[in-house]
Amino acid sequence: MASKNNNSVCEDKVYSHIFTTNAKTVFNYIYYKFGNEEKANDAVQEAFLKLWENCAKVSPEKAKSYVYTIANNLYLNVLKAEKVRLKHADKTLKVSNESPEFILEHKEYQDKLDAALNSLPENQRTTFLLNRIDGKKYAEIAEMEGVSIKAIEKRMHLALKSLREKIDGI
Amino acid sequence: MQENYLAKWLNGELSEAELSEFKKTDEYASYQKIIEASTFLEAPKFDTEKALIDIKVKQQNNNSVKVVKLSPIKKLMRVAAAIAILITGTYFYMNSLNETITTLYAERTEITLPDNSEVVLNADSKVSYSIKNWDTKRNIDLDGEAYFKVAKGKRFTVATDAGTVSVLGTQFNVTQRDGIFKVTCFEGLVSVLFNNKETKLPAGTSFLVVNGQIKDIKAPNTSEPSWINNESSFKSIPLSYVLNELKRQYNITVETKNINTDKLFTGSFSNTNIDLALKSISVPAQIKFKLEGNKVLFYAEKTH
Repeated sequence: MASKNNNSVCEDKVYSHIFTTNAKTVFNYIYYKFGNEEKANDAVQEAFLKLWENCAKVSPEKAKSYVYTIANNLYLNVLKAEKVRLKHADKTLKVSNESPEFILEHKEYQDKLDAALNSLPENQRTTFLLNRIDGKKYAEIAEMEGVSIKAIEKRMHLALKSLREKIDGI
Repeated sequence: MQENYLAKWLNGELSEAELSEFKKTDEYASYQKIIEASTFLEAPKFDTEKALIDIKVKQQNNNSVKVVKLSPIKKLMRVAAAIAILITGTYFYMNSLNETITTLYAERTEITLPDNSEVVLNADSKVSYSIKNWDTKRNIDLDGEAYFKVAKGKRFTVATDAGTVSVLGTQFNVTQRDGIFKVTCFEGLVSVLFNNKETKLPAGTSFLVVNGQIKDIKAPNTSEPSWINNESSFKSIPLSYVLNELKRQYNITVETKNINTDKLFTGSFSNTNIDLALKSISVPAQIKFKLEGNKVLFYAEKTH
């Protein structure tokens, strides 16, 4: 039952806005967790459909965390984390006049980073990538994951620590 | 250095002193490099516009389902449909129910099956069969003892917990109770399936199993089981079974004292005269009996 309130999630404008600003992050969030692109796409669809069905009950302010909760719960017990296959852009390299040695070294390093990311626990990887790729603040990640900011700082700290240990071969 | 300093460092939350201390460490360059390299990371492509269109389509589909309201007539039809299903279900259920005939102690009954085959059911016995399916499958379940005169036709099967007896058209007796499974063929040919092994019984032969053991017994010289003529006959049958049969035929309580009821008994007793029956059992078995009302006690003879 659609509310007459202009600020209701049931309003097409409000809903579309919430979707456009959050869909990509929901997708990334699930992708970082489970490394499965198809499931990440499904999660976006399912989570936002649920939001639509319950648009009268969820306020626009709560919509964001509602969607993350749904997306997260969806695969919590079903999916086992697969390998994340992140792509790295060669944006700098395209226009670079770097030496071939540098390019090779760069590629090798990125491969190492990839492997190290794959071996991280799911929650550390998700926190690290949401921060580095999506530029999410610790507070935002904490909201998505439903934990304290301090817990996210801890995950970030541990993620960096073990990334270095893996890459430096300690 | 404060807790989770790496996270603080990334967020620019380290104090100047902490930062300069961190920069002096060997790891600093490594962390710097990781952060630099991570700027090249990219998530897979995600088409927000297309995803939004997809979701709008799904919303429409969901809405069209949501909007459907049941008119009172539809509701009524629902109820009618439910009742119709219930009635049909009950009808088929009742039809598929087996016809069951049971005899009590000291009772005997004769049944004529749909194909005019005859069954005489001895005391404390039960048969059940499906009238509806009788034309396609002549199958009858037996618990106790019964004598069959089977009309010629398709395979006729008597199923008991101990074994299965099947014939085409003949006269035979089946007993299955108290660890005894006995089949006697009086006419034609009977096939007995016991423990997945088939035995063919021509007319005038018997098949006996006592407590899972197949026993050799001689063929009876009669054209019908003796109980049809109100006499219970036994050949090498444990006394306990004989006493149970007495109980069934006269509906009395039987007790024993100092008697080995595993002893085998050969002989017969009348099903109509209890005094005669008690004597017929006690004399050959060399035991004594005391009849008080509905209770009979068999006891061993004292040998002072």
